[in-house]
Amino acid sequence: MGSNSNTNTVQPPPQYAPYRLVKTLTAHQSAVSCVKFSNSGKLLASASLDKSLILWNAENLTLISRLNGHTEGVSDLAWSSDSHYICSASDDKTLRIWDARAAECVKTLRGHTDFVFCVNFSVHSNLIVSGSFDETIRVWDVKTGKTNHVIRAHSLPVTSVHFNRDGSLIVSGSHDGSCKIWDTATGTCLKTLIDDKVPAVSFTKFSPNGKFILVATLDDNLKLWNYSTGKFLKMYTGHVNKKYCITPTFSVTNGKYIVSGSEDHCVYIWDLQGKNLLQKLEGHTDTVISVNCHPTENMIASAGLLGDRTIRIWVQPS
Amino acid sequence: MNATIIDPLQGDFPEVIEEYLEHGIMKCIAFNRRGTLLAAGCSDGSCVIWDFETRGIAKELRDKDCVAAITSVCWSKSGRHILISAADKSLNLWDVMKGDKIYRTTLQQTPLQARLHPGGGSPESTLCLVCPFSSAPMIVNLQTETTTTLPISFSGGTTTATTGAPPRNKFSDGSAHYTPTAACFNKHGDLVYVGNSIGEILIIDHNKNLVRGVVAVSGGAVIKNIVFSRDGRHLLINSSDRTIRVYENLLPLKDSLKSLNEMIFDNTLDEGEIVKSAGVKSLLLFREFQDSITRVHWKAPCFSGDGEWVVGGSASKGEHKIYIWDRAGHLVKILEGPKEALMDLAWHPVHPMVVSVSLTGLVYIWAKDYTENWSAFAPDFKELEENEEYVEREDEFDLMPETEKVKDLETNEDDEVDITTVEKDSAFSDSDLSQEELRFLPADPFPDVSEQQEKHTASNSKLGDSKNSDSPLSEETGAMNHDSSQIEGMENSGGEDGGMTYLKRRRKPSEKVLELQAQKVRKPLPKAKGGLGKSSKTKSRIGNGIGIEQEQDMNNFGDEFGIDD
Repeated sequence: MGSNSNTNTVQPPPQYAPYRLVKTLTAHQSAVSCVKFSNSGKLLASASLDKSLILWNAENLTLISRLNGHTEGVSDLAWSSDSHYICSASDDKTLRIWDARAAECVKTLRGHTDFVFCVNFSVHSNLIVSGSFDETIRVWDVKTGKTNHVIRAHSLPVTSVHFNRDGSLIVSGSHDGSCKIWDTATGTCLKTLIDDKVPAVSFTKFSPNGKFILVATLDDNLKLWNYSTGKFLKMYTGHVNKKYCITPTFSVTNGKYIVSGSEDHCVYIWDLQGKNLLQKLEGHTDTVISVNCHPTENMIASAGLLGDRTIRIWVQPS
Repeated sequence: MNATIIDPLQGDFPEVIEEYLEHGIMKCIAFNRRGTLLAAGCSDGSCVIWDFETRGIAKELRDKDCVAAITSVCWSKSGRHILISAADKSLNLWDVMKGDKIYRTTLQQTPLQARLHPGGGSPESTLCLVCPFSSAPMIVNLQTETTTTLPISFSGGTTTATTGAPPRNKFSDGSAHYTPTAACFNKHGDLVYVGNSIGEILIIDHNKNLVRGVVAVSGGAVIKNIVFSRDGRHLLINSSDRTIRVYENLLPLKDSLKSLNEMIFDNTLDEGEIVKSAGVKSLLLFREFQDSITRVHWKAPCFSGDGEWVVGGSASKGEHKIYIWDRAGHLVKILEGPKEALMDLAWHPVHPMVVSVSLTGLVYIWAKDYTENWSAFAPDFKELEENEEYVEREDEFDLMPETEKVKDLETNEDDEVDITTVEKDSAFSDSDLSQEELRFLPADPFPDVSEQQEKHTASNSKLGDSKNSDSPLSEETGAMNHDSSQIEGMENSGGEDGGMTYLKRRRKPSEKVLELQAQKVRKPLPKAKGGLGKSSKTKSRIGNGIGIEQEQDMNNFGDEFGIDD
């Protein structure tokens, strides 16, 4: 039905029920940089510039444990597929692998020569990919903590790295305005999706099925690309994003949405197909840098920067 | 998954040693069905499972029963079990995930090769086909420990299972002496194909233990290996006349036995004729491969994962050569490895990669020599196979070209996109698994020693339940931690990655390969006299000190990045 060019406006799903704030979590002493649900849906982890990570019970939204160890602020975190481990990326130039159950650091990954800004696990959680201000991407062996590849990927800080569904590809975005796709096995560049000097690419991510890439640029744009044809398919606008590496996400539990934070302190929810804004969640008192959707429930977690320092949990009444 | 953006102009066969794996003395190898794990049987009776993505050890199967050299390894279709045959005449079936042994059977003869029944539809078959050192191939039921010896020749109307030594055999005085006989299951396991020592391929109904078809190979030389391609459409035999022959399988893949039986019943000839004519209708000689100059005896020949290539190894005079032919019979590549005789060979099920085992017990990984694809760096570049005359567009240099506007509108933003549906992997479309496939083993990070000190006891117990605490691996784990932490300081300073920088925009061999090459320069034959590879323990890190000159002149982008400032 979408291929019919006469129907220029795709109607939003009629049954859209607005998300409502259910809880505000305040435990971080500084800006919250990242918030992510575990794959099991039972845990929520948050990272902060206060150098710590906090594990939350995603069911009753209480604090379980605090992960201390980094000597500088933490910019990003990722869960292993089995919800057992968390990997965190810090300005202390290291990544740390934490055992979530025991709430302790099991491994420190050293090698980057500048702030580590972004991190992700491969689907089988045997590899970790990280991007840094040292302009490289590193692929790490989880078991041994050794670097399998150092990819001199970009000419400015790497803002995001993400594995596709089977782990064969890595997409990276950088402040240098490019978005590139890499072969995980060899570390070679397979494709450059975008190669502009400006605007900076602040975020990239594969769609759940690995066929598309969501790209955020610091000109208030969020685009969905078909990377095999090299064409962009959808553009989502309305939010403010000129400065920070805001991390949008896909919501697939009830209808298909794109969810993103914004520098106007709101969370934006668009209809994936129609690109129209469905809802703007208000409440944070500073830029919303990170949003994440619960894997099975209609729940969104959002995190605010220094002026806010909170994590807010929003749910869609069923 | 990356097939959509891979350059189609690059060849599809391996060219260089990309890396080598080192752990004890490995003797034989096998990939799981997806090629995500590589099992290697060692001379000390253990079986190492390598994560082929990280190239690290994912698991080690080992217990006190099995200390003799392993002669073959075979994955079950679901990847959950591994069948290991060993020089102590044992057959062992392991649960890969748990690291437990399920069955152990001791045979009368040393099994040279053991293959699990491909399963078909049954959950996890416990039938296996064993080719012993000096008797006829047999079907072994691991659960009931019953064995059925298969016939190895067909004479007239009677099948000879236990008598009638092949005429080529030197010891023609008794029935106890056989040359090793090659055998394999067909794709669904309802038939066994046996290559015997008088150059015949027997097609056997292993349930009834009857020869259903016979094909005489020209020349009648001893058949040393017999393997099917992954799709089951081609059969490869390797004979002592130094020729690899590929036959086309004329039987339908499903219900091969049934259609073979039908062929037999609508026939009025005597049984010998029937079986011969069934053979003719089952296999058709497709191609012969040989090196007529050097007359190499082929080792471990096999098909590539997609069946497009045929590969054979050569170990003559201690060499490590891999010959690759296309299916049309042209030799496309000879890979020359180090001066360590080639022992085993396997082609990766999906990637253009070959792994080979050397006499010293190292496993070499051969991959394509990736040259950096320059067009990968420019979004609008397209690589051309040859020069094309460029025709200038009418409005090429207009300030407002009309066509460009049209191009921008090419994609309709209102087209529906499907972000969740995953297409089934076409290479494995025949999946009929009743059990979920095991593709990966969980990768639990070895804890850093420094972190352990605080909570030593606590973390140890946790290590126990997250890993195979009952295996000797956990002790080794501790030892390895010490090593790695001691060198961590050096490694992590960047030196470790000296070989892996991408300055030259060309794929470089990994650090281990560079090391190997350095060794070769120093000592042309480092391991020739070293016995069985004890000298392969030299794992010095020459990478240290090369370092990466990381330019530290980067401006602070904290302002723009906000939260990092």
